[in-house]
Amino acid sequence: MSVPAAKVSSPASTTSSFSGLMTAPLEFLRRYASWSWLSIPSLLLAWILVATQFESYILPQPWEVLDEAWNEMLFPTQETVMDDDGNIVEIPEEERVTTWRLLSHGELVAAVQHFFRGEIWPHVGWSLLEEVGGFGAAIVFSLIFGFLAGFFKGFREYIVPLNGLFMAIPPIAWAPLMVIIFGLGYTTIVIVIFISAVNPMILTIMEGVLQIQGQEVRAARILGARRWQLLLYVYLPASLPFVTAALRIGFSQAWRALVAAEMIGASVGLGYMVQTAGEVGNSRLVLLGIAMIGLFSYIFERMLFRPIEKRYEVWRLT
Amino acid sequence: MSHIDRVGGEDLVIDSVNFSYGGKLSIFLNLNLNVKPGEFLSIIGPSGCGKTTLLNLLSGFYQPEQGSVRLRGQPIAPEDTHLGYVFQQPTLFPWLSAIENVEFGLRMIGIPSDARRERALKYFHLVGLKGFEDFLVLRLSGGMQQRVSLARSLAMEPTLLLMDEPFGALDAITRETMNDELLRIWDELGQTVLFITHDIDEAVYLSDRIVVCGRPPHGIYKIMENELPRPRSGPNTRTKDLFWQYKKQLIEDIAVVTAQSPQSEEEMRELRLAQHAEVLE
Repeated sequence: MSVPAAKVSSPASTTSSFSGLMTAPLEFLRRYASWSWLSIPSLLLAWILVATQFESYILPQPWEVLDEAWNEMLFPTQETVMDDDGNIVEIPEEERVTTWRLLSHGELVAAVQHFFRGEIWPHVGWSLLEEVGGFGAAIVFSLIFGFLAGFFKGFREYIVPLNGLFMAIPPIAWAPLMVIIFGLGYTTIVIVIFISAVNPMILTIMEGVLQIQGQEVRAARILGARRWQLLLYVYLPASLPFVTAALRIGFSQAWRALVAAEMIGASVGLGYMVQTAGEVGNSRLVLLGIAMIGLFSYIFERMLFRPIEKRYEVWRLT
Repeated sequence: MSHIDRVGGEDLVIDSVNFSYGGKLSIFLNLNLNVKPGEFLSIIGPSGCGKTTLLNLLSGFYQPEQGSVRLRGQPIAPEDTHLGYVFQQPTLFPWLSAIENVEFGLRMIGIPSDARRERALKYFHLVGLKGFEDFLVLRLSGGMQQRVSLARSLAMEPTLLLMDEPFGALDAITRETMNDELLRIWDELGQTVLFITHDIDEAVYLSDRIVVCGRPPHGIYKIMENELPRPRSGPNTRTKDLFWQYKKQLIEDIAVVTAQSPQSEEEMRELRLAQHAEVLE
């Protein structure tokens, strides 16, 4: 009886018991490796290689940008420090520190204060605030108008040409007009973001609703669903995939428009920071700004949209 | 015939119905058809003869321009729970599990969750899906999806079950299995079945009567009584001389209908467009 049992055991398990130590890393790679692991490193490598051909002040190396972030932006050189009695005292020029070291209690408090007084935070904060305002308004509007356009043929016919018109104009083209009307600042940026995000979002949601119309709704009606039940039990779950798609499209549109608009119509924000750093020829700060813009986009993608998408991914697979 | 006799109640009555798409393209002129309770009636005919339009009229998605469609003396609306409809495609809700799909209708009509689950399970097991309750429907095969769809309709315990080429998308062997399953279930539940198909074998194997539909707007070309004895079982029934006689008869009838008033491509196109526009409404 033991002979057939031995035959049944799979070849894979035999191999691993033979030379488990040798095959373990390979096995690990075979199971988890992805070419995506090379994307960012290859970009960095290209950057490093190209940067060797330039002076540091024209195209800095990645670590020099990191250094900029660390020393100049996040931890500006301390000029004052709190002594153990809680008094703020000025540090003599020759004793000012820019490097990381163990800090006393007073120094730690001062460091934290400086961290949040770091020059980059107002830029990041205002950019995020503008994104929340413009993108948030775009979500509300596109949900309302997208669903209305999906449900009502007349409204669809009315709104589609408008979407087309607005989408044909690069949103940044509105920025100068908004500056004239609203001046530099929050309102101008929010409106430009809103214009850029809301139109593709409305179209995406509308197309999605149009796809639901039809078989699933018929099936639900045959099963006795009333109008409000259709909304709750069919349209709502069925709309999740394309609402998420609309959110992703809208967010990235808004974020792009935001950075561009800040270069024209703002006095604070990541786009403004990159713009002004470019004007004074500070390429490290320019690259730092670009990296932050990319980083925040990535964080939102991962923390906001991926989780929603995961919810319906399972049943979208065929 | 014994099957029909044991079920009481009233008929599905289609009384001098006129229907056209937008007043231009007449599909039915003075269509009459009575379906007896508990009867298994098949409708067969060349494509474009208005089979799907008829189902839309029977399910209340379309209203006749003249005449009436009545089930047990009442006009029909899609939301009627004594009306079941199994579509050509399973049209399940992909965000729900298999058993939740079967529960969907029961939930819509407000049956409490315990009773709902119990009833759903009964029909889920009846269609032979025991063990697949928690599967996401897209993970099931085409045949199993159509079983879920059937269970979903049956769970509403309809008195009239409309089936629109439900097994048309399945392979021949799965289809024959499903035919036997359907007969077994129908035998157990005894509801009226109106079955649309373009498969002659299927029509002969399943039905008490077979309607050969005519070219629009002729509606019905012919109604054939099917005297094949029940219970019917695969090879036994399919090899009977009577089975082949009916089959031969139907092939001839359909050939006549197809040749009768040949539809031009232009007409076919117009029909398709009209139907499409209707669906989008």
